[in-house]
Amino acid sequence: MINRNLAKVLSFRYKILALVLVLLAAGLVLLPKYVKHEGISPKELLSNAISPERYISTDELAHKIIEQDPSFLLIDVRDEESFKKFSLPYAINIPLKKLLDEESVNYLDQDEYDIILYSNDHFYADQAWIICNRLAFKNHRVLEGGVNEWFATIINPEKPTENMPRLAFDLYSYRKAASMYFGVAYPEQARPAVSTTNKTKKRRVTVRKKKKMAAEGGC
Amino acid sequence: MKELEKTQRLSIASVLVVLLVLISLLMYKRPKHVYNTNSKNTLEKVISDDYFIGLDQINNPDYILVDVRNQIEYNKGHLDHAINIYTPELLNKINSKLLKKNKKQNKTMLLYGNNPHETIAQFMLLYQIGYKNTKILTVENSYFENKLITKNSPIENATVDINAFIKESVKNSFKALKKTTKI
Amino acid sequence: MGPLIPNGFIPDEWNNIIAIIIGLAFGYILEASGFSSSRKLAGVFYGYDFVVLKVFFTAAVIAVIGIFYLDYLGYLDFNQLYIHPTYLWGAIIGGIIMGVGFVTGGFCPGTSVCGAAIGKIDAMVFILGILIGVFVFSELYTLFEPIYDGYFLGNQTLMDSLGVSPYWFIFIFTIIALVAFFVVDQIRKKVKKVFY
Repeated sequence: MINRNLAKVLSFRYKILALVLVLLAAGLVLLPKYVKHEGISPKELLSNAISPERYISTDELAHKIIEQDPSFLLIDVRDEESFKKFSLPYAINIPLKKLLDEESVNYLDQDEYDIILYSNDHFYADQAWIICNRLAFKNHRVLEGGVNEWFATIINPEKPTENMPRLAFDLYSYRKAASMYFGVAYPEQARPAVSTTNKTKKRRVTVRKKKKMAAEGGC
Repeated sequence: MKELEKTQRLSIASVLVVLLVLISLLMYKRPKHVYNTNSKNTLEKVISDDYFIGLDQINNPDYILVDVRNQIEYNKGHLDHAINIYTPELLNKINSKLLKKNKKQNKTMLLYGNNPHETIAQFMLLYQIGYKNTKILTVENSYFENKLITKNSPIENATVDINAFIKESVKNSFKALKKTTKI
Repeated sequence: MGPLIPNGFIPDEWNNIIAIIIGLAFGYILEASGFSSSRKLAGVFYGYDFVVLKVFFTAAVIAVIGIFYLDYLGYLDFNQLYIHPTYLWGAIIGGIIMGVGFVTGGFCPGTSVCGAAIGKIDAMVFILGILIGVFVFSELYTLFEPIYDGYFLGNQTLMDSLGVSPYWFIFIFTIIALVAFFVVDQIRKKVKKVFY
């Protein structure tokens, strides 16, 4: 009995399948359309943005520069004028408004180097970071405090007072040594031949275009 | 008969495919928040600078103050009439409703935290998912004798000319050097 | 989410392994559905068996509907998929040569390997022919190069070149496929039965 019923249904199977196909195709036409925008999901972006992991301290950065760590790119997101006035050694200037130009994206969207973004404070650098993070660019970090913090800690470190722990003194002597590396001279340690270090350092970076993996087709 | 069996197998396979599509359709949950601006427009907005509000301008009935710090700090002290949306909870259900309500009533949300840095992520996220009625209140909050002190905070200005400082230090050290050599 | 490999859900190294698995499955299904018989394959040209047309049309329709549903639901990014580049005249001439080879030989390149695997001598000869063809083509490559590399239209889809909404295109395409199945069935009923 069941078999006979089944046979009856099955005799219509081509029509049923055809109907299903038409329905599915019609479903595509009828579904409400919405414009899709690129980027990782807003939830992910939020959880990335509230994590303090993206910040790198000025001490860490100074260490990296002095060690001549070749694995990172420093990117200055301020405008050209302030970049010309002062920039950290080896930095590349990508003003915020040119952030998504093709040329800049070549620097930002690659996985060879770590990227460290900085501005005067870390406000603009954070904005750049968020835009890049939405586009899922990898290995981006932000210099905490930016140039101002750089000045306050590395270039002109505050002398610890007598009652501070030893750690503060260690940090101070480290920072002082770092500041001397970046051209600051101290009266008590003056040496005659010191003036040559103050030229802006430039590094040529060739960034390979991130290869877009495209599948090859064939029959 | 044998051929029939084969076609049956085919139809079973295709029915399975169709079922798969249907199941994935039924299982599908439209994400609550989707972007409605692309990155280029967001960048333009960010550059435009017209989303900063100073402390002196907040007396406007269309403004709603939003405190993005956590509940403890909010309870400790907050600006008058401010509501609290702690950043990690920005996209949860209750807050989404709140955001939607504010958008409907055409109110402008002013975000503030301990300093303007704390609000930039929220501002940009809200802007990108369609809440264009958001602005940043550029204030700094600190406590003095358990009272909340709020003052305007400038955004991103260069405080010192570092090159000049370095040159100065070199000059000073030269002077010092000369002095020591003279003696 | 998808495509899985470019987005890093599956490491790049698995690429070839997955290709082999899919290839094995493809070969098995070709053989299981009788595609290793040149009589069945050539039947589409003589009107006594339209399995080839039905299978490929169904595959195309199912694939395109599936991809667009996945794209709509956000499981797959349509823009990241590989689209075969269009070399207009190369495709036309190549298509004609392939068609002629199909009618006379009774195999297409994939099915010939399938047929050779189950020991069909005509399939083996066909493969030999393919190899000779490959050899001649590579020897005369400089001669063919302008056609091979010319008339490049970019990675275009039919929707791009016709400028219609993809969803309507799929709907019309499905209807055309179903009508084709129906017409083809009528033809097959009229043509004298061939046993093979």
